[in-house]
Amino acid sequence: MSTEVKKSNSLLKAALLKIVSEKVSLIALIIVAIYFGTALLTSLNLVASTWNTSIGASYLAPGADALFGTDIFGRSVATRVIKATETAVAIGVVVSIIAIVIGTTLGMLAGYFGGIIDEIIVWFYTTFSSIPSIMLLVAIAFILGKGTTTVFLSLGLTSWVGLCRIVRAEVMKHKEREYIAAANAIGATHSRKLIKHILPNISHLLIINFTQTFDSAVKAEVVLSFLGLGVVGRPSWGTMIDDSKLELARGVWWQLAAATLAMFVIVLAFNILGDALRDALDPKLKGK
Amino acid sequence: MNLYAYILRRLLYVIPVLLGVCLVIFVLFNLVAPDPAFILLGKHATHQQIAELHHELGMDKPFIAQYFDTVKTAFTFDFGYSWASKQNIWQMIKAGAGPSLSVTGPLFVISNIFAISLALLVAFYRGKLIDKFVLVLSIAGMSIPSLAVVLFGQWFFAYKLGLFEISGYENGFPNFIPYVILPVILYVFISFGGDTRFYRTVILDEAYQDYVRTARSKGLSELKVMFKHVLKNSMIPILTQIIIQIPYLILGLIFAESFFSIPGLGAMTINAINNSDFPVIKAMTILSAVAFILFGVITDVLYTVVDPRMKLK
Amino acid sequence: MNTEKILEVKDLVVEFRTERGVVKAVNGVNFEVHKGKTLGIVGESGSGKSVSALAIMGLIPNPPGRVASGQILYRGKSLVNIDPSEMRKIRGNKIAMIFQEPMTSLNPVFTIGNQIEEVIELHQPHLSASERAAKAVDMLRLVGIPSPEKRVKEYPHQLSGGMRQRVMIAIALSCEPDILIADEPTTALDVTIQAQILELMNKLQKELGMGIILITHDLGVVAETCDHVAVMYCGQIVESADVETLFNHPSHPYTKGLMDSIPDFDSTSGHKKERLQTIEGMVPSLFNLPTGCNFQDRCSKVTEACRGMNGDPTLKPAKGDDHFVACFNPLENI
Repeated sequence: MSTEVKKSNSLLKAALLKIVSEKVSLIALIIVAIYFGTALLTSLNLVASTWNTSIGASYLAPGADALFGTDIFGRSVATRVIKATETAVAIGVVVSIIAIVIGTTLGMLAGYFGGIIDEIIVWFYTTFSSIPSIMLLVAIAFILGKGTTTVFLSLGLTSWVGLCRIVRAEVMKHKEREYIAAANAIGATHSRKLIKHILPNISHLLIINFTQTFDSAVKAEVVLSFLGLGVVGRPSWGTMIDDSKLELARGVWWQLAAATLAMFVIVLAFNILGDALRDALDPKLKGK
Repeated sequence: MNLYAYILRRLLYVIPVLLGVCLVIFVLFNLVAPDPAFILLGKHATHQQIAELHHELGMDKPFIAQYFDTVKTAFTFDFGYSWASKQNIWQMIKAGAGPSLSVTGPLFVISNIFAISLALLVAFYRGKLIDKFVLVLSIAGMSIPSLAVVLFGQWFFAYKLGLFEISGYENGFPNFIPYVILPVILYVFISFGGDTRFYRTVILDEAYQDYVRTARSKGLSELKVMFKHVLKNSMIPILTQIIIQIPYLILGLIFAESFFSIPGLGAMTINAINNSDFPVIKAMTILSAVAFILFGVITDVLYTVVDPRMKLK
Repeated sequence: MNTEKILEVKDLVVEFRTERGVVKAVNGVNFEVHKGKTLGIVGESGSGKSVSALAIMGLIPNPPGRVASGQILYRGKSLVNIDPSEMRKIRGNKIAMIFQEPMTSLNPVFTIGNQIEEVIELHQPHLSASERAAKAVDMLRLVGIPSPEKRVKEYPHQLSGGMRQRVMIAIALSCEPDILIADEPTTALDVTIQAQILELMNKLQKELGMGIILITHDLGVVAETCDHVAVMYCGQIVESADVETLFNHPSHPYTKGLMDSIPDFDSTSGHKKERLQTIEGMVPSLFNLPTGCNFQDRCSKVTEACRGMNGDPTLKPAKGDDHFVACFNPLENI
């Protein structure tokens, strides 16, 4: 067992090494680190703490006074975009965690126990994935009402099916392997086998899935903001993009540009990082 | 086992899934959702008013009966009346389907042809500069938020440059054409990245199979290998991907329809959300799920027809 | 050998560019194929035998691979740097190949008949459609597939592995090639089916007079079918001889090791042996070959000479006609 776990760990280490050794994926990793660092600093009020303060006239164009201009209340768009990093990172991380916990738990149970448990879980996710995700998202968000918790929950509850499928299939494969037979021989319990033996060996799937879920969650936040179901009380790229729908006709393009750019860069970085991770961790998908 | 028996079996499997979908919808709208009395009657309603409303909406029935009411609508499409406009919802859906399809139909055709041709091209030149260029472009395209594309596109091409209608709609072909050109272009741009990347992966998956080596060892040209052997095999996942998009066509395009004032089902859904119009949202959720399940069956059946390997189980 | 030489490979070097640098998968290989004769190329996986075959076919995936130097002469005509359209006329027509994986080597969405007719159409365009169809049926009959008229309309998944390999042979032979390259043709098949396929290849060779290159890791297969054998290790030929000489007088310790690991053959006594022997150690990585002999770390006869002070071992004549070995301490022949 320990050799299998070690293999999985060294696979992760090798993947990380490979990412660091390639220029493009290294830059992507640095960008992600900068965004996460920014989010941490703003949440501690060390950076962009003045996001809610007016610094000049309403709708100042970008210039010396304000790098990305000001919004309707004369607040700096640049500061608000930076503050919104915190929202985006929180959404990406929390949504991914919800999706990974649900998807992994159900997928492992289905794949490991098989039989009726498997059938129920397969039925359950087939049901969930039979409702087009945009409608399910709208329905859940609508019913839970406006707010940050709604954003977390509605996105988390609609993002787990893909991972659940993959984990189920992978656990079915691992169940037959020798190290599980060895664990059986020493009388390991089900939970021990699942958590200590199988989970480390599917961890690379969770990491790849994290990059994908993070990306789609950050993008979906825009949709929720547009529907009026987004975060409240703090700036987010989604609400800023949505706000700009009324501003564009007046020539105020900078709020749209700044928020879109900020979002584009992190989504792109995560996309590249996800591809690099998949290449490194799942060699059979290489070069695709 | 013949094809008809297979289709029948596959349709039978739809039943538990459909019941499950109705269960999810029932739990969301009948159990979790706030009491519609607050929305329809306001804060100062009397107990009697509330009780009457509950009776009218069938909410005083036991849960199991309410659940069966939900299941029934999945078959009858009798979704009742909109709270906001008091119109029959099925009539509203029928009226909105045309405008939605006038945008999503051309978009569906153009974007798929575009993405598949591009994917074939880059698969043919795999690993070369053009392949890398298209891949980078696809990933970049996938990273732009679609709302920003719609907002910017409408503002720049319609408002600033005046090349297209800013908004509006006229029923009937060809009257609607000027109104849908820009939304279609913008959505082709939005979907090209993900589609191209998907189709490229599918085609490359086949390009490295053993039978491709056999085809080359026969002395076939690379063009013949790609367009005869590889394409025919990748047609199976490509076809699946195309058919699975069809149920989304009737959902319409939420952003485009509301910004370009196209009176389709996407715009209808947005209005329903803004007006807390439960029955309309519920109806759209059920309808889209039914369409999705139905097209899932069609995909599976087509699969068995197209792929000689599929044994009818 | 007094037979007609149809293929000659001289000092062939095939390189692959990888993330860890350039490796020579085939490094200075020489062999010949004669009309009506079978050349066996033996070695473990990664020894360069399949790459050599793909190089002859001009099917080395480029990038990352390429023929870096050396010559491949088919009836005196160089196949290295040949015009691709010229090569396509030879490939499948004059030189044909069958592969290890009969289960996946046929295209699943075309009928058997279609896949045979395709190669006939390509190289014998003068035949009409009905003549092609008739020939496809004939080919299936030739390779021993029962009721071929029915089978041509079937898809690969409807056939067993052995039947599919027969179809592959039918495809390869339908243009009556000069040379058939068979890359582990029986490895994926059951033992009884293996014997049938090898027998079929022998029979067809007698009928059609083609030269065969048989690539295998199985010396038992070599003993049954080959005329001449080349043993490959780490991209090089370490021993080359006609089949009887090789089995009677193996000179390279690696060849001897391979023979000792055949279950019912003992190179020392010729009797069925009691215990299987294995070769100690592992094949060195192509990224990290030792200086001197590549087999040094696994060899029981290793001396200081093998460690590089005399350079790399080269093929030198050994006991018997036409017998060469690349070893500083060839085995005393018993």
